Amino acid sequence: MASLGETAISPEILTARRMAWLRFRSNPVALLGAFMVLSVVFCALFAPFIAPYPEDAGNMIDFATRHSAPSAEHWAGTDKVGRDILSRVIFGFQVSLLLVVGVLGLAVPVGAALGLAAGYFGGWTEFLITGFTNVMLAIPPLVMALAVGSVLSQTLVNAMFAIALLWWTWHARLVYRVAKSVAAEDFVEAARLAGASHMHILLREILPNCVAVISVKTTLDAAFVILFGATLSFLGLGVRPPTPDLGSMVADGRQFLPEMWWGVLFPALGIFYATLAFNLLGDGLRDMFDVEV
Amino acid sequence: MALLDICDLNVAFTSYGQRTHVLRDVSLKIGEGQRVALIGETGSGKSVTSKAVLNTLPRNAAVEGGEMFWRGRDLLQTPDRQREALKGIEMSVVMQDPLSSFNPVFTIGRHLGDVLFWADRRSGKRRGRAERRAHIYDVLRKVQLADPERVFASYPAELSGGMRQRVLIALALMNRPAMLIADEPGTALDVTTQDEILRLLNDLVAQEGLSLLMITHNLGVVRMTADYVYVMCKGEIVEHGPLRRIFEDPQTDYCRELIEAIPPLYGARVRNQPVSTEAPLVKLEGVSKTFTRRHFLRPSEQVHAVRNVSLEIPRGEILGLAGESGSGKTTVARMVMGMMGASEGRISVDGVALADQRDGRIDRRLAQIVYQNPGTSLNPKRTVAQTLEVPLRFASNEPKARGRRIEELLERVDLPPHFAARFPHELSGGQKQRVAIARALAAEPRLIVLDEPTSALDMSVQKRVIALLEELRSELGLTYLFISHDLSLMRNFCSHIAIMLRGEIVERGTPAEVFEDQQHPYTRALISAVPVITDEEEARKPKVTQQERQKFLVSSAA
Repeated sequence: MASLGETAISPEILTARRMAWLRFRSNPVALLGAFMVLSVVFCALFAPFIAPYPEDAGNMIDFATRHSAPSAEHWAGTDKVGRDILSRVIFGFQVSLLLVVGVLGLAVPVGAALGLAAGYFGGWTEFLITGFTNVMLAIPPLVMALAVGSVLSQTLVNAMFAIALLWWTWHARLVYRVAKSVAAEDFVEAARLAGASHMHILLREILPNCVAVISVKTTLDAAFVILFGATLSFLGLGVRPPTPDLGSMVADGRQFLPEMWWGVLFPALGIFYATLAFNLLGDGLRDMFDVEV
Repeated sequence: MALLDICDLNVAFTSYGQRTHVLRDVSLKIGEGQRVALIGETGSGKSVTSKAVLNTLPRNAAVEGGEMFWRGRDLLQTPDRQREALKGIEMSVVMQDPLSSFNPVFTIGRHLGDVLFWADRRSGKRRGRAERRAHIYDVLRKVQLADPERVFASYPAELSGGMRQRVLIALALMNRPAMLIADEPGTALDVTTQDEILRLLNDLVAQEGLSLLMITHNLGVVRMTADYVYVMCKGEIVEHGPLRRIFEDPQTDYCRELIEAIPPLYGARVRNQPVSTEAPLVKLEGVSKTFTRRHFLRPSEQVHAVRNVSLEIPRGEILGLAGESGSGKTTVARMVMGMMGASEGRISVDGVALADQRDGRIDRRLAQIVYQNPGTSLNPKRTVAQTLEVPLRFASNEPKARGRRIEELLERVDLPPHFAARFPHELSGGQKQRVAIARALAAEPRLIVLDEPTSALDMSVQKRVIALLEELRSELGLTYLFISHDLSLMRNFCSHIAIMLRGEIVERGTPAEVFEDQQHPYTRALISAVPVITDEEEARKPKVTQQERQKFLVSSAA
């Protein structure tokens, strides 16, 4: 009987999940990205133990060593009040990652929920949500953030809100597009005919098919959030001193250019490293899941 | 000397460190002017063989052994550039999917012109633009495209499927190749169009003295277009011989099963399904459906998908709704399912009009559907158990009883219980379709709409799925509405059939009546276009003149 077509698929045939992992593993750039992201997270989590001068993260002033060039004691030199720049960069990752978690933690669920609803329900829901998303997309994010930052007090939380307020739109758009095509599949109609509720269809049938796209987009977004957060603090709208923050360190160091170049270079390299890390990982995940974002 | 001679060809694919042996010692010979068919089921290695000949194997494939001679010259020892030069000049290929073979932003003329230009460059011929154009017109005329100027200037989307397939054949013939490789030509087309294409291919092969390598899974097509047959199974040639010998006296079990799996159109093997005498379960009275296509700045357009259809489906019946693409058969099914309202007329179930029911939606305990493509009707991210659980949960079954019921359902469709934990990609096509049937059964419906449930499956798998459906019907007292374009299958599986043409039912009756004595010329044209595998069937098919055939060709409408 089983000699023709309908033979069981043998276990050595690759499952989609295993395929994806093999794709990821055989991609050196993706592995590099994953390693870099892990190193950033590790630095942020264990900053007090890694940083050579952990006390410099706070309101330390040591005029004796101010503006010293990179040396054996201070690998990345010191800033205008004598704090070790390397230590502050390592601590700076904490702020960057908090910002990423905060912004994406707010923006991704909101965007995904709106996108799912618009893609699945169609009609007026679709019209209103996509319309609103388009309006929000027309607001320049920097201007919005500046406005929020100047109205509310300058805290990390407010900066987060300011960014998240506009960030969800990209996720809404992306999830909308995927959800709309998934919603047209036969299995969604079959579930509806089987009597499934809208909630069931949205969360159990459609959402799992959007997870790959959402995770790739979120990883790539992390890089942009870090960059955007640094821009805001460079402009003076980010965290308040003395909390170490990469963007404000660049802004501070700028006054002493070009003689004290290390004050700008090393924080900027920190931003560069973290951004590149998430970008490489995101690209790797994109190849692994084989999706477009 | 044979034109193409393949000896013990071995090909393996490597993906992520895993090696799969896809061709094992394949030997095949095609003589000058010979028509050879390569048949086998999905994944048997037919297409890989043709790709190996054309040197278009994917990067991760490697020829691991064997020899391939083209006019006595070993292709595997020939540098890639010279093999490239053979393509399109010595051997040409006609692809399966006529739409995706074209770039939608270029005209047909541009496609053909480019191919000709590069072929000329390679062979060192010098021809002017006008000369090339004249040559293209000639070739288009040869594939019976009556108006070459118009076709030349058209974009691919402006042509019908049949016309595009003709253009693809023209493309292959452009440089008078010695051999044509046809990979499932016409499979994506309607039966009547497919019939036209096969006739055309046959004529061309005869006129131009071409050799033909026909790759197909459809044995009826093989009978029409080949003299010698190779049968492939799991990367090996299991049997080969002249057409008649293979069809009448197959030596291997595989080949025998392949031939027996084909539902006969006429003859002793035909089965008649018992006709139901019970009261109608579903009744359609003068049902029409009109879609309105709205245009910007132009008056909107009315499309009549279904016109004045009246039908009765008695309990326990298998009503077959036959017709080609765009005939409105799926629209009828959707209205019966209550997924779509009728514009006019009345649909009633058990004497209660659908429109009177809550939001016009049919009770899911009444009707369920099995879709054509099991690949898209099962959610790739959900296991079999999760899929089957949905109808059970919403039918408010106790959670404990659900697990048992899932096992029961799997047993009903002849799948082992441990399949409950599998994801769709871990199942074969036939197994997926079984799960889809189990899902439909889970809601305990009385009517199941079968929307071409086997057209994506291999013949042998189709045979078993159909047997399962017959068994379920007799055991559970189900009623089926079976939508299909496969007339030979319907002949054996349906207790009544109705033929649809452009939204109307043109003929109905029991299969025995309809197949013996057709009332409508369209039915005749349709039946005569079905590729069959025996001379007896061929002789008993209704005879249709060229004119009658042309009249109902979907493709000639474009």
